[in-house]
Amino acid sequence: MNWFVWRQHRKQFLSFGVLLALFAALLIPTGIHYWHTYQQALTNCAQHPALYKCDDLTNTLFSSQADGFIRIAEVLGTFGLPLLVGLFVGAPLVAREYEEGTNKLAWTQSVSRRKWLTTKVVWVLGFALLYGITLTILATWWSRTLNTVAHNRFVQGHFETQGLMPVAYSVFFTALGFAVGAWFRKTILAFAITFGVFVLCMASFANWVRPHYMTPVTVTAAMGPNSLDGKIPTDAWILQRNIVDKNGKVLNGDLFPEAPQQCQQIIQQAEVQGNGHGGIRVKAVPNPNGGDPIDDCLNKAGFHQIAKYQPSYRYWDFQRIEASIYLGMTALAVAAKYWLVLKRDA
Amino acid sequence: MGKAAIQTKELGKRYGSFWALENCNISVPEGSVSALVGPNGAGKSTLLKLLVGLSSSSTGEGEVLGKAPVQHEDFLTDIGYLAQEIPLYKSFNAADHITMGQHLNKNFDKKFIVKRLKELGIPLDRPVGKLSGGQRAQVALALALAKKPKLLLLDEPVAALDPLARHDFLASLSQAVADGGLTVVMSSHLLADLERVSDHVIVLASGKTQLCDDIETVLQDHKLIVGPREHAKNLGDGISVIHETHTVKQSTLLVRLSHGAKLPNHWQQHEPNIEEIILAYMGQAKEGGAV
Repeated sequence: MNWFVWRQHRKQFLSFGVLLALFAALLIPTGIHYWHTYQQALTNCAQHPALYKCDDLTNTLFSSQADGFIRIAEVLGTFGLPLLVGLFVGAPLVAREYEEGTNKLAWTQSVSRRKWLTTKVVWVLGFALLYGITLTILATWWSRTLNTVAHNRFVQGHFETQGLMPVAYSVFFTALGFAVGAWFRKTILAFAITFGVFVLCMASFANWVRPHYMTPVTVTAAMGPNSLDGKIPTDAWILQRNIVDKNGKVLNGDLFPEAPQQCQQIIQQAEVQGNGHGGIRVKAVPNPNGGDPIDDCLNKAGFHQIAKYQPSYRYWDFQRIEASIYLGMTALAVAAKYWLVLKRDA
Repeated sequence: MGKAAIQTKELGKRYGSFWALENCNISVPEGSVSALVGPNGAGKSTLLKLLVGLSSSSTGEGEVLGKAPVQHEDFLTDIGYLAQEIPLYKSFNAADHITMGQHLNKNFDKKFIVKRLKELGIPLDRPVGKLSGGQRAQVALALALAKKPKLLLLDEPVAALDPLARHDFLASLSQAVADGGLTVVMSSHLLADLERVSDHVIVLASGKTQLCDDIETVLQDHKLIVGPREHAKNLGDGISVIHETHTVKQSTLLVRLSHGAKLPNHWQQHEPNIEEIILAYMGQAKEGGAV
């Protein structure tokens, strides 16, 4: 059976090997380059604090157009290769056999259908697993400079392209393509559905599922420009930040109509200035104690700021939780194809 | 007649509410070459799939080479099967298929198949997708035969072949049968072809068995009789009418005589050929049951 599966799918396995090698040829040199540039910048800013600012490296490093392209290529490759494995290895795996009737040839040799299916499952999921592992080692290693500089690995696009996730996606979407192919017996349909589920998963997990894996940390602070920021770690994943009134009601949009009358007066008397970014900024004459009279007024009225965030030390917990979800879905997909091939089609 | 290679009892297969095969009772003797005939949708493919274990029955039971047909190594090793569309892996060449056969079968006879394909002039190194339909059918047949099966089930193998390729295919089959130890069941629409190679016939129509017997016995038992129409209703015991046509005064009947039954002597007797008998049975099923 092993020779048979290898002979049947070697073209796919080898093509994906080549794709991965091309990807590595992009990531390895640029990864080394970025790490060196970063180390160089650290040395520079330590030696010449007047010329280079150490806390601002994100904005000064890796901001050229070429850096942008490389970053996009890295994200697309790390997202895309697991999907492509699902589409081109998973989806046609049994669907093409059904389409061409070769399943009847394979199932009437002296090998039980269960063994045939198991060998295919082991080979293909094993391939997807190895592929995901190699991919994530590459991508995670490549991302270490950005992780260090930009701090936040939770952000959509970072989270999915590092750690356990490329492995989870690679295995799941392959298993899914395989199962959907067994279900509909049509390669093109399995292809389309697998693609659709991928888009759906990527959009929904980042926005609606992932934020809820663990209860976020909630912090509150008085009104004022920097009072809340100081309480949120710089590397945290901020889910929400709002101004609330004294009853805890979240205020969205314009604060003015919700403010008490004496505060509205202060705001109206304040000088309206452009903030230099096309917006406006309200600036009142400072109080004798140096505080902003608007903030002081709002604080007196019980207004405050609130934020919810996921601290960065939860990163690996989140990776584990999401990987487990995908592992569970993979198990379902595998069970489904056993049922379809061994029971429905008998 | 020897032991039965295939014996089915009330075998049936239902897809949803549709019965593809119903109450199928057949018995195929070991060493025979059986022709499985019937109109489209009669359940021929369904029956063959049940017999090779590709699908499982909804009702009844079947015994094939003394075993229940299941997807198991021990059962499959003695059965050769060729599906209707003659499936082969298009990107594989014949040599790949041979290696596949060696890996997936215990008793695969590589020498036999290599020799056979060489004799037929089929290149081993060309992807089978680039071979002619006749050559593909020969590769598929050789693959099935190289398993050294005791029973070979063929589902309309010659349907898509041109007359010459069909002739060659049937010649290959006859040779394999002559080598001995092989029971064959082959379905086809082409009655003349079947007559050439088979000695047993199974007629399926409307999902039911209409006839299952030795061709010789079938020929002996059936008569085409011509006589006055007024006597057509009372032929006597042991005589059943399979098919009838009438003119104003005369009736032409195809009848089956039970053992020892005698025809009244005002009937003129003819010997029908097997094709006429088979067509009569298929027509009978179409008209909705025995008269």
